[in-house]
Amino acid sequence: MSLEIRTLSEIMNPPQTADSPLSTQEYFVNMGPQHPATHGVLRLVLKMDGETIREVIPVLGYIHRSIEKMAEYLHGRQIVHLTDRMDYLSALANNWAVSRAVETAMGVQTNPRIETIRTLICELQRVQSHQLWWGVLGLDLGALTSFFYGFRDREEITDILEETTGARLTMNYIQPGGLMFDLHPNFVPRVKAFIKYFRPKLDEYETLLSENVILQERLRNVGVLSAEDAIGYGATGPVLRASGIPLDLRKQQPYGVYDQVEFSVPVGTVGDCWDRYWIRIEEMRQSLGIIEQLIDNIPDGKFMEMKPAAKLKLPAGSFYLQIETARGSLGVFLQGTGEDIPHRCHFRSPNFNNLWSVTKTAVGGKIADLVAIVSTLDLVIPDVDR
Amino acid sequence: MTGQSSYVLTSMDRIMNWARANSLWPLAFGTSCCAIEMMMSSMASRHDLSRFGAEVVRPTPRQADLLILAGTIVKRMAKPLRVLYEQMPEPRYVIATGACTISGGPFTYNSYTTVRGADEIIPVDVFVPGCPPRPEALIYGIMTLQKMIKTGEAYGQPYQRRRPITAALPPGMTQAQLQKEIAEFLEAHATIDVDKAAHNNRWEKERY
Ligand code: SF4
Repeated sequence: MSLEIRTLSEIMNPPQTADSPLSTQEYFVNMGPQHPATHGVLRLVLKMDGETIREVIPVLGYIHRSIEKMAEYLHGRQIVHLTDRMDYLSALANNWAVSRAVETAMGVQTNPRIETIRTLICELQRVQSHQLWWGVLGLDLGALTSFFYGFRDREEITDILEETTGARLTMNYIQPGGLMFDLHPNFVPRVKAFIKYFRPKLDEYETLLSENVILQERLRNVGVLSAEDAIGYGATGPVLRASGIPLDLRKQQPYGVYDQVEFSVPVGTVGDCWDRYWIRIEEMRQSLGIIEQLIDNIPDGKFMEMKPAAKLKLPAGSFYLQIETARGSLGVFLQGTGEDIPHRCHFRSPNFNNLWSVTKTAVGGKIADLVAIVSTLDLVIPDVDR
Repeated sequence: MTGQSSYVLTSMDRIMNWARANSLWPLAFGTSCCAIEMMMSSMASRHDLSRFGAEVVRPTPRQADLLILAGTIVKRMAKPLRVLYEQMPEPRYVIATGACTISGGPFTYNSYTTVRGADEIIPVDVFVPGCPPRPEALIYGIMTLQKMIKTGEAYGQPYQRRRPITAALPPGMTQAQLQKEIAEFLEAHATIDVDKAAHNNRWEKERY
Protein backbone atom coordinates (compact mmCIF):
# COMPACT_ATOMS: atom_id res chain seq x y z
CA MET A 1 0.00 0.00 0.00
CA SER A 2 1.36 3.36 -0.92
CA LEU A 3 0.57 6.21 1.38
CA GLU A 4 -0.56 9.39 -0.30
CA ILE A 5 -1.82 12.34 1.66
CA ARG A 6 -4.14 14.76 -0.10
CA THR A 7 -6.70 17.16 1.21
CA LEU A 8 -10.33 16.72 0.27
CA SER A 9 -10.39 19.88 -1.83
CA GLU A 10 -7.41 18.65 -3.83
CA ILE A 11 -9.25 15.47 -4.63
CA MET A 12 -12.50 17.21 -5.46
CA ASN A 13 -10.84 19.75 -7.79
CA PRO A 14 -8.26 17.79 -9.76
CA PRO A 15 -5.95 19.75 -12.05
CA GLN A 16 -7.32 20.10 -15.58
CA THR A 17 -5.77 17.76 -18.09
CA ALA A 18 -6.19 17.61 -21.84
CA ASP A 19 -8.96 15.10 -22.51
CA SER A 20 -9.06 12.89 -25.53
CA PRO A 21 -12.40 13.22 -27.30
CA LEU A 22 -13.48 9.70 -26.32
CA SER A 23 -12.67 9.83 -22.62
CA THR A 24 -15.51 9.82 -20.15
CA GLN A 25 -15.82 12.45 -17.52
CA GLU A 26 -15.27 11.67 -13.90
CA TYR A 27 -17.64 13.17 -11.40
CA PHE A 28 -18.32 13.10 -7.69
CA VAL A 29 -21.28 11.74 -5.81
CA ASN A 30 -21.87 12.55 -2.18
CA MET A 31 -23.28 9.64 -0.21
CA GLY A 32 -24.41 10.82 3.18
CA PRO A 33 -24.21 12.16 5.83
CA GLN A 34 -27.95 11.56 5.81
CA HIS A 35 -28.33 8.38 3.81
CA PRO A 36 -30.30 5.30 4.83
CA ALA A 37 -27.69 2.83 3.61
CA THR A 38 -24.75 4.25 5.50
CA HIS A 39 -26.18 3.25 8.89
CA GLY A 40 -26.00 6.64 10.49
CA VAL A 41 -24.13 9.72 9.53
CA LEU A 42 -21.20 8.37 7.56
CA ARG A 43 -20.33 10.46 4.53
CA LEU A 44 -18.69 8.79 1.56
CA VAL A 45 -17.46 10.93 -1.31
CA LEU A 46 -17.43 8.77 -4.42
CA LYS A 47 -15.38 9.48 -7.50
CA MET A 48 -17.42 7.95 -10.27
CA ASP A 49 -16.79 7.07 -13.88
CA GLY A 50 -20.21 6.35 -15.25
CA GLU A 51 -21.60 3.75 -12.87
CA THR A 52 -18.18 2.52 -11.78
CA ILE A 53 -16.55 3.69 -8.58
CA ARG A 54 -13.00 4.93 -9.02
CA GLU A 55 -12.33 6.14 -5.51
CA VAL A 56 -14.04 6.17 -2.13
CA ILE A 57 -13.20 8.87 0.38
CA PRO A 58 -14.81 8.46 3.81
CA VAL A 59 -15.38 11.78 5.55
CA LEU A 60 -15.76 11.53 9.28
CA GLY A 61 -16.71 13.75 12.17
CA TYR A 62 -20.46 14.06 11.83
CA ILE A 63 -21.02 12.32 15.15
CA HIS A 64 -17.75 13.05 16.91
CA ARG A 65 -18.83 13.50 20.53
CA SER A 66 -15.38 13.87 22.09
CA ILE A 67 -15.74 10.84 24.31
CA GLU A 68 -11.99 10.47 24.77
CA LYS A 69 -11.63 14.03 25.99
CA MET A 70 -14.59 13.65 28.32
CA ALA A 71 -13.03 10.52 29.80
CA GLU A 72 -10.12 12.64 31.05
CA TYR A 73 -12.47 14.31 33.49
CA LEU A 74 -14.13 11.16 34.80
CA HIS A 75 -13.30 8.42 37.29
CA GLY A 76 -12.74 4.87 36.16
CA ARG A 77 -16.23 3.93 37.15
CA GLN A 78 -17.79 6.87 35.38
CA ILE A 79 -16.08 6.23 32.05
CA VAL A 80 -18.11 3.04 31.71
CA HIS A 81 -21.33 4.84 30.91
CA LEU A 82 -19.71 6.68 28.00
CA THR A 83 -18.62 3.44 26.39
CA ASP A 84 -22.26 2.36 26.15
CA ARG A 85 -22.78 5.15 23.70
CA MET A 86 -19.80 4.32 21.50
CA ASP A 87 -20.80 1.00 20.05
CA TYR A 88 -24.32 0.78 21.37
CA LEU A 89 -25.00 -2.57 19.74
CA SER A 90 -22.40 -4.28 21.90
CA ALA A 91 -22.61 -2.00 24.90
CA LEU A 92 -21.83 -4.75 27.39
CA ALA A 93 -18.61 -5.73 25.65
CA ASN A 94 -17.54 -2.09 25.71
CA ASN A 95 -18.33 -1.89 29.43
CA TRP A 96 -16.27 -4.99 29.94
CA ALA A 97 -13.27 -3.59 28.08
CA VAL A 98 -13.05 -0.51 30.28
CA SER A 99 -13.80 -2.46 33.44
CA ARG A 100 -11.06 -4.94 32.66
CA ALA A 101 -8.60 -2.15 31.92
CA VAL A 102 -9.35 -0.50 35.26
CA GLU A 103 -9.22 -3.84 37.07
CA THR A 104 -5.90 -4.75 35.49
CA ALA A 105 -4.47 -1.36 36.33
CA MET A 106 -5.56 -1.59 39.96
CA GLY A 107 -4.84 -5.30 40.34
CA VAL A 108 -8.37 -6.26 41.34
CA GLN A 109 -9.33 -9.91 41.18
CA THR A 110 -12.87 -10.93 40.29
CA ASN A 111 -14.55 -14.17 41.21
CA PRO A 112 -15.74 -16.90 38.80
CA ARG A 113 -19.39 -15.89 39.12
CA ILE A 114 -18.71 -12.42 37.84
CA GLU A 115 -16.63 -13.70 34.93
CA THR A 116 -19.24 -16.31 33.98
CA ILE A 117 -22.08 -13.83 34.00
CA ARG A 118 -20.03 -11.37 31.98
CA THR A 119 -19.23 -13.98 29.36
CA LEU A 120 -22.80 -15.18 29.22
CA ILE A 121 -24.36 -11.79 28.87
CA CYS A 122 -21.83 -10.62 26.27
CA GLU A 123 -22.51 -13.67 24.13
CA LEU A 124 -26.22 -12.93 24.36
CA GLN A 125 -25.53 -9.48 23.12
CA ARG A 126 -23.34 -10.75 20.30
CA VAL A 127 -26.32 -12.74 19.07
CA GLN A 128 -28.52 -9.67 19.44
CA SER A 129 -26.10 -7.50 17.52
CA HIS A 130 -25.83 -10.00 14.67
CA GLN A 131 -29.62 -10.27 14.52
CA LEU A 132 -29.88 -6.57 13.95
CA TRP A 133 -27.14 -6.69 11.34
CA TRP A 134 -28.92 -9.50 9.54
CA GLY A 135 -32.19 -7.62 9.48
CA VAL A 136 -30.63 -4.42 8.26
CA LEU A 137 -28.59 -6.23 5.60
CA GLY A 138 -31.82 -7.51 4.11
CA LEU A 139 -33.29 -4.03 4.25
CA ASP A 140 -30.28 -2.51 2.49
CA LEU A 141 -30.46 -5.07 -0.29
CA GLY A 142 -34.20 -4.58 -0.69
CA ALA A 143 -35.76 -7.40 1.33
CA LEU A 144 -37.99 -5.99 4.04
CA THR A 145 -39.03 -9.32 5.57
CA SER A 146 -35.65 -10.06 7.08
CA PHE A 147 -35.89 -6.77 8.94
CA PHE A 148 -39.09 -7.83 10.63
CA TYR A 149 -37.69 -11.27 11.49
CA GLY A 150 -34.44 -9.92 12.89
CA PHE A 151 -36.11 -7.28 15.01
CA ARG A 152 -38.77 -9.64 16.27
CA ASP A 153 -36.13 -11.99 17.65
CA ARG A 154 -34.00 -9.12 18.87
CA GLU A 155 -36.85 -8.01 21.11
CA GLU A 156 -36.69 -11.35 22.94
CA ILE A 157 -33.08 -10.77 23.97
CA THR A 158 -33.77 -7.12 24.75
CA ASP A 159 -36.44 -8.25 27.20
CA ILE A 160 -34.10 -10.69 28.92
CA LEU A 161 -31.34 -8.11 29.21
CA GLU A 162 -33.75 -5.44 30.37
CA GLU A 163 -34.90 -7.58 33.25
CA THR A 164 -31.38 -8.02 34.54
CA THR A 165 -29.70 -4.76 33.60
CA GLY A 166 -32.63 -2.36 33.80
CA ALA A 167 -32.11 -0.86 30.36
CA ARG A 168 -32.87 -1.81 26.82
CA LEU A 169 -29.88 -0.39 25.00
CA THR A 170 -27.40 1.56 27.08
CA MET A 171 -26.94 -0.88 29.91
CA ASN A 172 -24.00 0.31 31.98
CA TYR A 173 -24.06 -3.09 33.65
CA ILE A 174 -20.49 -4.35 33.85
CA GLN A 175 -18.55 -2.24 36.32
CA PRO A 176 -14.93 -2.23 37.45
CA GLY A 177 -14.83 -4.90 40.13
CA GLY A 178 -18.00 -6.71 39.20
CA LEU A 179 -21.52 -6.10 38.06
CA MET A 180 -24.10 -3.45 38.77
CA PHE A 181 -26.78 -5.88 39.95
CA ASP A 182 -27.09 -9.59 40.46
CA LEU A 183 -28.81 -11.74 37.86
CA HIS A 184 -32.58 -11.57 37.81
CA PRO A 185 -34.15 -14.86 38.95
CA ASN A 186 -35.93 -15.11 35.62
CA PHE A 187 -32.69 -14.90 33.68
CA VAL A 188 -31.77 -18.57 33.50
CA PRO A 189 -35.20 -19.97 32.54
CA ARG A 190 -35.78 -17.22 30.01
CA VAL A 191 -32.40 -17.68 28.33
CA LYS A 192 -33.08 -21.41 28.06
CA ALA A 193 -36.47 -20.72 26.54
CA PHE A 194 -34.88 -18.27 24.14
CA ILE A 195 -32.29 -20.76 22.92
CA LYS A 196 -35.02 -23.29 22.31
CA TYR A 197 -36.96 -20.66 20.42
CA PHE A 198 -34.10 -19.23 18.43
CA ARG A 199 -32.34 -22.34 17.11
CA PRO A 200 -35.10 -23.21 14.63
CA LYS A 201 -35.45 -19.52 13.81
CA LEU A 202 -31.81 -19.42 12.79
CA ASP A 203 -32.46 -22.20 10.30
CA GLU A 204 -35.38 -20.16 9.08
CA TYR A 205 -33.05 -17.22 8.53
CA GLU A 206 -30.94 -19.43 6.32
CA THR A 207 -33.93 -20.56 4.31
CA LEU A 208 -35.20 -17.03 3.93
CA LEU A 209 -32.07 -15.16 2.98
CA SER A 210 -28.98 -17.35 2.69
CA GLU A 211 -30.49 -19.71 0.16
CA ASN A 212 -31.87 -16.88 -1.87
CA VAL A 213 -30.23 -16.75 -5.30
CA ILE A 214 -30.52 -12.98 -5.57
CA LEU A 215 -28.74 -12.47 -2.26
CA GLN A 216 -26.00 -14.89 -3.19
CA GLU A 217 -25.49 -13.18 -6.53
CA ARG A 218 -25.23 -9.83 -4.83
CA LEU A 219 -22.78 -10.98 -2.18
CA ARG A 220 -20.56 -13.54 -3.83
CA ASN A 221 -17.24 -12.19 -5.18
CA VAL A 222 -18.26 -8.66 -4.26
CA GLY A 223 -15.92 -6.54 -2.20
CA VAL A 224 -13.10 -9.04 -1.98
CA LEU A 225 -10.62 -8.10 0.75
CA SER A 226 -7.39 -10.05 0.60
CA ALA A 227 -5.68 -11.20 3.77
CA GLU A 228 -2.77 -8.78 3.33
CA ASP A 229 -5.07 -5.84 2.83
CA ALA A 230 -7.19 -6.83 5.81
CA ILE A 231 -4.11 -6.87 8.01
CA GLY A 232 -2.84 -3.69 6.40
CA TYR A 233 -5.99 -1.81 7.19
CA GLY A 234 -6.06 -3.21 10.71
CA ALA A 235 -9.41 -4.89 10.21
CA THR A 236 -10.57 -7.16 13.00
CA GLY A 237 -13.53 -9.31 13.86
CA PRO A 238 -15.63 -11.01 11.21
CA VAL A 239 -14.14 -8.78 8.51
CA LEU A 240 -10.65 -10.10 9.18
CA ARG A 241 -11.80 -13.67 9.72
CA ALA A 242 -13.65 -13.63 6.40
CA SER A 243 -10.31 -12.99 4.73
CA GLY A 244 -8.99 -16.23 6.13
CA ILE A 245 -7.14 -15.16 9.26
CA PRO A 246 -8.41 -16.97 12.35
CA LEU A 247 -7.76 -14.16 14.80
CA ASP A 248 -10.29 -14.15 17.59
CA LEU A 249 -9.20 -12.73 20.92
CA ARG A 250 -11.59 -15.08 22.67
CA LYS A 251 -9.30 -17.90 21.51
CA GLN A 252 -5.92 -16.21 21.27
CA GLN A 253 -5.95 -14.25 24.53
CA PRO A 254 -8.80 -15.82 26.47
CA TYR A 255 -10.48 -13.62 29.01
CA GLY A 256 -13.59 -14.23 31.07
CA VAL A 257 -14.28 -17.96 30.98
CA TYR A 258 -13.73 -18.39 27.26
CA ASP A 259 -10.90 -20.83 27.99
CA GLN A 260 -13.35 -23.18 29.72
CA VAL A 261 -15.94 -23.41 26.96
CA GLU A 262 -15.77 -25.10 23.61
CA PHE A 263 -16.46 -23.16 20.48
CA SER A 264 -14.96 -22.84 17.07
CA VAL A 265 -14.01 -19.75 15.13
CA PRO A 266 -15.51 -19.68 11.63
CA VAL A 267 -13.02 -18.54 9.01
CA GLY A 268 -13.70 -17.53 5.43
CA THR A 269 -11.67 -18.33 2.35
CA VAL A 270 -12.32 -15.60 -0.22
CA GLY A 271 -12.91 -12.50 1.86
CA ASP A 272 -15.96 -11.37 -0.07
CA CYS A 273 -19.29 -10.16 1.26
CA TRP A 274 -20.69 -13.66 1.26
CA ASP A 275 -17.94 -14.86 3.62
CA ARG A 276 -18.64 -12.01 6.00
CA TYR A 277 -22.33 -12.83 5.86
CA TRP A 278 -21.82 -16.51 6.48
CA ILE A 279 -19.36 -15.96 9.30
CA ARG A 280 -21.80 -13.84 11.28
CA ILE A 281 -24.57 -16.40 10.87
CA GLU A 282 -22.20 -19.11 12.06
CA GLU A 283 -21.03 -16.96 14.97
CA MET A 284 -24.61 -16.77 16.18
CA ARG A 285 -24.66 -20.58 16.32
CA GLN A 286 -21.37 -20.68 18.20
CA SER A 287 -22.57 -18.06 20.66
CA LEU A 288 -25.71 -20.04 21.34
CA GLY A 289 -23.47 -23.04 22.01
CA ILE A 290 -21.38 -21.04 24.50
CA ILE A 291 -24.52 -19.86 26.28
CA GLU A 292 -25.82 -23.42 26.45
CA GLN A 293 -22.61 -24.61 28.06
CA LEU A 294 -22.58 -21.86 30.66
CA ILE A 295 -26.20 -21.35 31.56
CA ASP A 296 -26.41 -24.32 33.93
CA ASN A 297 -22.99 -23.76 35.46
CA ILE A 298 -23.12 -20.29 36.96
CA PRO A 299 -21.08 -20.55 40.17
CA ASP A 300 -22.21 -18.90 43.39
CA GLY A 301 -20.52 -15.88 44.80
CA LYS A 302 -20.65 -12.16 45.14
CA PHE A 303 -21.55 -10.02 42.17
CA MET A 304 -19.33 -7.12 43.22
CA GLU A 305 -15.81 -7.42 44.54
CA MET A 306 -15.12 -3.78 45.29
CA LYS A 307 -16.89 -1.49 47.66
CA PRO A 308 -19.19 0.54 45.44
CA ALA A 309 -18.19 3.70 47.23
CA ALA A 310 -14.48 3.04 47.06
CA LYS A 311 -12.47 5.59 45.15
CA LEU A 312 -10.68 4.12 42.17
CA LYS A 313 -7.09 5.29 42.08
CA LEU A 314 -5.38 4.49 38.81
CA PRO A 315 -1.70 3.78 39.48
CA ALA A 316 0.90 5.59 37.43
CA GLY A 317 1.65 3.97 34.12
CA SER A 318 0.04 3.00 30.85
CA PHE A 319 -2.41 0.15 30.47
CA TYR A 320 -3.70 -1.31 27.23
CA LEU A 321 -6.23 -4.06 26.92
CA GLN A 322 -8.26 -5.60 24.11
CA ILE A 323 -11.42 -7.62 23.99
CA GLU A 324 -13.45 -9.04 21.14
CA THR A 325 -16.76 -7.30 20.62
CA ALA A 326 -19.29 -8.30 18.00
CA ARG A 327 -17.46 -6.14 15.46
CA GLY A 328 -13.82 -6.81 16.22
CA SER A 329 -11.27 -6.07 18.86
CA LEU A 330 -11.83 -3.04 21.00
CA GLY A 331 -8.73 -1.72 22.69
CA VAL A 332 -8.71 0.54 25.71
CA PHE A 333 -5.65 2.57 26.57
CA LEU A 334 -5.52 4.23 29.98
CA GLN A 335 -2.71 6.34 31.30
CA GLY A 336 -2.85 6.81 35.03
CA THR A 337 -0.91 9.26 37.13
CA GLY A 338 -1.83 7.98 40.57
CA GLU A 339 -4.99 10.06 40.68
CA ASP A 340 -8.53 8.92 40.23
CA ILE A 341 -8.98 10.37 36.75
CA PRO A 342 -6.88 9.09 33.84
CA HIS A 343 -4.39 11.41 32.23
CA ARG A 344 -5.28 10.06 28.80
CA CYS A 345 -7.87 7.60 27.62
CA HIS A 346 -7.92 6.20 24.12
CA PHE A 347 -10.21 3.70 22.45
CA ARG A 348 -9.03 1.65 19.51
CA SER A 349 -12.39 1.00 17.96
CA PRO A 350 -12.89 -1.90 15.55
CA ASN A 351 -15.25 0.00 13.27
CA PHE A 352 -12.74 2.71 12.44
CA ASN A 353 -10.27 0.26 10.95
CA ASN A 354 -12.94 -1.89 9.34
CA LEU A 355 -14.35 1.18 7.62
CA TRP A 356 -11.13 2.00 5.77
CA SER A 357 -11.12 -1.34 4.00
CA VAL A 358 -13.97 0.07 1.92
CA THR A 359 -11.51 2.38 0.17
CA LYS A 360 -9.95 -0.73 -1.34
CA THR A 361 -12.81 -3.15 -1.79
CA ALA A 362 -15.38 -0.86 -3.38
CA VAL A 363 -13.09 0.48 -6.10
CA GLY A 364 -14.03 -0.86 -9.51
CA GLY A 365 -17.50 -1.90 -8.40
CA LYS A 366 -20.91 -0.30 -8.72
CA ILE A 367 -22.78 1.82 -6.19
CA ALA A 368 -25.15 -1.04 -5.47
CA ASP A 369 -22.15 -3.15 -4.53
CA LEU A 370 -20.92 -0.42 -2.23
CA VAL A 371 -24.19 -0.67 -0.32
CA ALA A 372 -23.68 -4.41 0.09
CA ILE A 373 -20.07 -3.92 1.19
CA VAL A 374 -20.86 -1.23 3.76
CA SER A 375 -23.69 -3.36 5.05
CA THR A 376 -21.55 -6.46 5.52
CA LEU A 377 -18.88 -4.43 7.29
CA ASP A 378 -21.53 -3.87 9.99
CA LEU A 379 -20.47 -0.35 10.87
CA VAL A 380 -21.63 1.61 13.88
CA ILE A 381 -20.72 5.19 13.06
CA PRO A 382 -20.62 6.66 16.61
CA ASP A 383 -17.92 4.08 17.30
CA VAL A 384 -15.93 5.27 14.28
CA ASP A 385 -16.06 8.90 15.35
CA ARG A 386 -16.34 8.48 19.13
CA MET B 1 -50.63 26.10 24.80
CA THR B 2 -49.98 29.51 23.34
CA GLY B 3 -53.66 30.42 23.41
CA GLN B 4 -53.27 33.27 20.97
CA SER B 5 -53.52 31.96 17.44
CA SER B 6 -53.63 34.67 14.85
CA TYR B 7 -56.39 33.03 12.89
CA VAL B 8 -59.72 31.36 13.44
CA LEU B 9 -59.87 27.61 13.09
CA THR B 10 -62.48 26.91 10.44
CA SER B 11 -64.06 23.55 9.90
CA MET B 12 -61.95 23.19 6.76
CA ASP B 13 -58.84 23.63 8.87
CA ARG B 14 -60.15 21.07 11.26
CA ILE B 15 -60.50 18.50 8.51
CA MET B 16 -57.05 19.29 7.17
CA ASN B 17 -55.51 19.07 10.60
CA TRP B 18 -57.20 15.75 11.19
CA ALA B 19 -55.85 14.42 7.91
CA ARG B 20 -52.36 15.74 8.58
CA ALA B 21 -52.22 14.32 12.07
CA ASN B 22 -53.07 10.83 10.90
CA SER B 23 -50.69 10.60 7.97
CA LEU B 24 -47.32 11.74 9.24
CA TRP B 25 -44.43 10.63 7.08
CA PRO B 26 -41.25 10.59 9.14
CA LEU B 27 -37.80 11.19 7.74
CA ALA B 28 -35.24 8.56 8.66
CA PHE B 29 -32.69 10.63 10.47
CA GLY B 30 -30.85 8.67 13.12
CA THR B 31 -27.44 9.80 14.18
CA SER B 32 -26.68 7.48 17.07
CA CYS B 33 -28.01 5.22 19.81
CA CYS B 34 -31.55 6.60 19.89
CA ALA B 35 -31.93 5.57 16.25
CA ILE B 36 -31.99 1.92 17.24
CA GLU B 37 -34.93 2.47 19.55
CA MET B 38 -36.58 4.54 16.84
CA MET B 39 -36.20 1.64 14.45
CA MET B 40 -37.53 -0.71 17.09
CA SER B 41 -40.64 1.39 17.49
CA SER B 42 -41.27 2.59 13.97
CA MET B 43 -40.68 -0.44 11.83
CA ALA B 44 -40.27 -3.56 13.94
CA SER B 45 -43.28 -5.69 14.55
CA ARG B 46 -43.83 -5.44 18.28
CA HIS B 47 -44.35 -1.70 18.65
CA ASP B 48 -46.04 -1.19 15.35
CA LEU B 49 -46.14 2.51 14.62
CA SER B 50 -48.44 2.04 11.64
CA ARG B 51 -51.28 1.70 14.13
CA PHE B 52 -50.93 5.47 14.52
CA GLY B 53 -50.38 6.23 10.87
CA ALA B 54 -46.76 7.30 11.07
CA GLU B 55 -44.73 4.39 9.77
CA VAL B 56 -43.96 5.39 6.17
CA VAL B 57 -40.32 6.23 6.84
CA ARG B 58 -38.89 8.18 3.92
CA PRO B 59 -35.21 8.43 3.16
CA THR B 60 -35.51 11.84 1.52
CA PRO B 61 -36.63 15.07 3.17
CA ARG B 62 -38.63 16.07 0.11
CA GLN B 63 -41.25 13.45 0.86
CA ALA B 64 -41.36 13.69 4.63
CA ASP B 65 -43.19 16.05 6.94
CA LEU B 66 -42.04 14.77 10.33
CA LEU B 67 -38.41 14.94 11.37
CA ILE B 68 -37.65 12.51 14.18
CA LEU B 69 -34.31 13.58 15.57
CA ALA B 70 -32.79 10.46 17.06
CA GLY B 71 -29.39 10.94 18.54
CA THR B 72 -26.73 13.44 19.42
CA ILE B 73 -26.28 16.48 17.21
CA VAL B 74 -22.70 17.65 17.00
CA LYS B 75 -21.53 20.95 15.64
CA ARG B 76 -20.43 19.48 12.35
CA MET B 77 -23.89 17.99 11.80
CA ALA B 78 -25.69 21.22 12.67
CA LYS B 79 -25.55 22.72 9.19
CA PRO B 80 -26.64 19.60 7.29
CA LEU B 81 -29.48 19.24 9.80
CA ARG B 82 -30.67 22.78 9.18
CA VAL B 83 -30.49 22.13 5.42
CA LEU B 84 -32.51 18.95 5.84
CA TYR B 85 -35.12 20.84 7.80
CA GLU B 86 -35.33 23.57 5.18
CA GLN B 87 -35.75 20.97 2.46
CA MET B 88 -38.85 19.49 4.03
CA PRO B 89 -42.13 20.81 2.68
CA GLU B 90 -44.47 22.85 4.89
CA PRO B 91 -46.15 22.08 7.19
CA ARG B 92 -43.33 20.26 8.94
CA TYR B 93 -43.05 18.99 12.45
CA VAL B 94 -40.08 18.00 14.58
CA ILE B 95 -39.91 15.44 17.37
CA ALA B 96 -36.61 15.35 19.24
CA THR B 97 -35.98 12.11 21.12
CA GLY B 98 -33.42 11.51 23.79
CA ALA B 99 -31.58 13.50 26.37
CA CYS B 100 -28.97 14.48 23.80
CA THR B 101 -31.38 16.47 21.68
CA ILE B 102 -32.90 18.13 24.74
CA SER B 103 -29.77 19.33 26.48
CA GLY B 104 -26.73 17.43 25.27
CA GLY B 105 -27.56 14.56 27.62
CA PRO B 106 -24.53 12.59 28.76
CA PHE B 107 -22.38 14.86 26.58
CA THR B 108 -23.35 18.13 28.23
CA TYR B 109 -20.20 18.62 30.26
CA ASN B 110 -16.62 18.74 28.99
CA SER B 111 -17.56 17.93 25.41
CA TYR B 112 -16.24 20.35 22.84
CA THR B 113 -18.42 19.24 19.95
CA THR B 114 -21.94 18.53 21.13
CA VAL B 115 -24.78 20.94 20.43
CA ARG B 116 -26.61 21.45 23.72
CA GLY B 117 -30.16 20.98 22.58
CA ALA B 118 -31.44 20.56 19.06
CA ASP B 119 -33.78 23.52 19.46
CA GLU B 120 -30.75 25.76 19.08
CA ILE B 121 -30.75 24.81 15.42
CA ILE B 122 -34.30 24.05 14.39
CA PRO B 123 -37.68 24.60 16.05
CA VAL B 124 -38.78 21.50 17.93
CA ASP B 125 -42.42 20.65 18.58
CA VAL B 126 -42.16 17.75 21.00
CA PHE B 127 -39.31 16.51 23.15
CA VAL B 128 -39.29 12.89 24.23
CA PRO B 129 -37.06 12.39 27.27
CA GLY B 130 -35.01 9.28 27.93
CA CYS B 131 -31.60 7.87 27.14
CA PRO B 132 -32.77 6.30 24.90
CA PRO B 133 -36.54 6.71 25.21
CA ARG B 134 -38.42 3.44 25.16
CA PRO B 135 -40.43 2.77 22.00
CA GLU B 136 -43.58 3.39 24.01
CA ALA B 137 -42.30 6.83 24.91
CA LEU B 138 -41.65 7.68 21.28
CA ILE B 139 -45.12 6.48 20.35
CA TYR B 140 -46.50 8.67 23.12
CA GLY B 141 -44.52 11.58 21.74
CA ILE B 142 -46.01 11.03 18.30
CA MET B 143 -49.49 10.85 19.79
CA THR B 144 -48.81 14.12 21.61
CA LEU B 145 -47.82 15.72 18.33
CA GLN B 146 -50.96 14.38 16.69
CA LYS B 147 -53.05 15.89 19.44
CA MET B 148 -51.28 19.20 18.92
CA ILE B 149 -51.85 19.12 15.20
CA LYS B 150 -55.50 18.24 15.62
CA THR B 151 -56.11 21.14 17.93
CA GLY B 152 -54.30 23.49 15.58
CA GLU B 153 -51.38 23.91 17.93
CA ALA B 154 -48.63 22.89 15.54
CA TYR B 155 -50.45 24.14 12.48
CA GLY B 156 -47.78 25.44 10.17
CA GLN B 157 -47.07 29.06 10.89
CA PRO B 158 -43.80 29.32 9.09
CA TYR B 159 -40.93 31.16 10.71
CA GLN B 160 -42.74 31.55 13.98
CA ARG B 161 -40.79 30.02 16.82
CA ARG B 162 -42.90 27.76 18.99
CA ARG B 163 -42.13 26.61 22.47
CA PRO B 164 -41.42 22.89 22.51
CA ILE B 165 -43.34 20.69 24.90
CA THR B 166 -42.10 17.56 26.61
CA ALA B 167 -44.03 14.36 26.17
CA ALA B 168 -44.42 11.92 29.06
CA LEU B 169 -44.22 14.30 31.99
CA PRO B 170 -45.04 12.77 35.35
CA PRO B 171 -48.72 13.19 36.22
CA GLY B 172 -49.60 16.51 37.78
CA MET B 173 -46.39 18.10 36.57
CA THR B 174 -46.02 20.90 34.08
CA GLN B 175 -43.02 21.86 32.04
CA ALA B 176 -42.65 25.20 33.82
CA GLN B 177 -42.71 23.49 37.20
CA LEU B 178 -40.02 21.07 36.10
CA GLN B 179 -37.78 23.79 34.75
CA LYS B 180 -38.20 25.78 37.94
CA GLU B 181 -37.28 22.75 40.01
CA ILE B 182 -34.16 22.08 37.96
CA ALA B 183 -33.15 25.74 38.19
CA GLU B 184 -33.59 25.71 41.95
CA PHE B 185 -31.63 22.50 42.26
CA LEU B 186 -28.77 23.89 40.19
CA GLU B 187 -28.89 27.09 42.21
CA ALA B 188 -28.57 25.20 45.45
CA HIS B 189 -25.99 22.65 44.41
CA ALA B 190 -23.93 24.10 41.63
CA THR B 191 -22.22 26.87 43.55
CA ILE B 192 -18.63 26.02 44.28
CA ASP B 193 -16.52 27.63 46.92
CA VAL B 194 -13.40 27.89 44.81
CA ASP B 195 -10.99 28.29 47.71
CA LYS B 196 -12.34 25.36 49.59
CA ALA B 197 -12.63 23.13 46.57
CA ALA B 198 -9.05 23.81 45.63
CA HIS B 199 -7.68 22.87 49.03
CA ASN B 200 -9.75 19.91 50.05
CA ASN B 201 -11.89 17.87 47.77
CA ARG B 202 -15.11 18.63 49.59
CA TRP B 203 -17.39 17.23 46.94
CA GLU B 204 -15.65 13.89 47.08
CA LYS B 205 -16.01 13.65 50.84
CA GLU B 206 -19.67 14.47 50.77
CA ARG B 207 -20.31 11.98 48.10
CA TYR B 208 -18.33 9.04 49.40
S1 SF4 C 1 -29.97 10.40 24.49
FE1 SF4 C 1 -28.71 8.68 25.16
S2 SF4 C 1 -29.29 7.01 23.80
FE2 SF4 C 1 -30.00 8.90 22.84
S3 SF4 C 1 -28.36 9.53 21.47
FE3 SF4 C 1 -28.00 10.55 23.42
S4 SF4 C 1 -26.62 9.18 24.52
FE4 SF4 C 1 -27.53 7.99 22.85
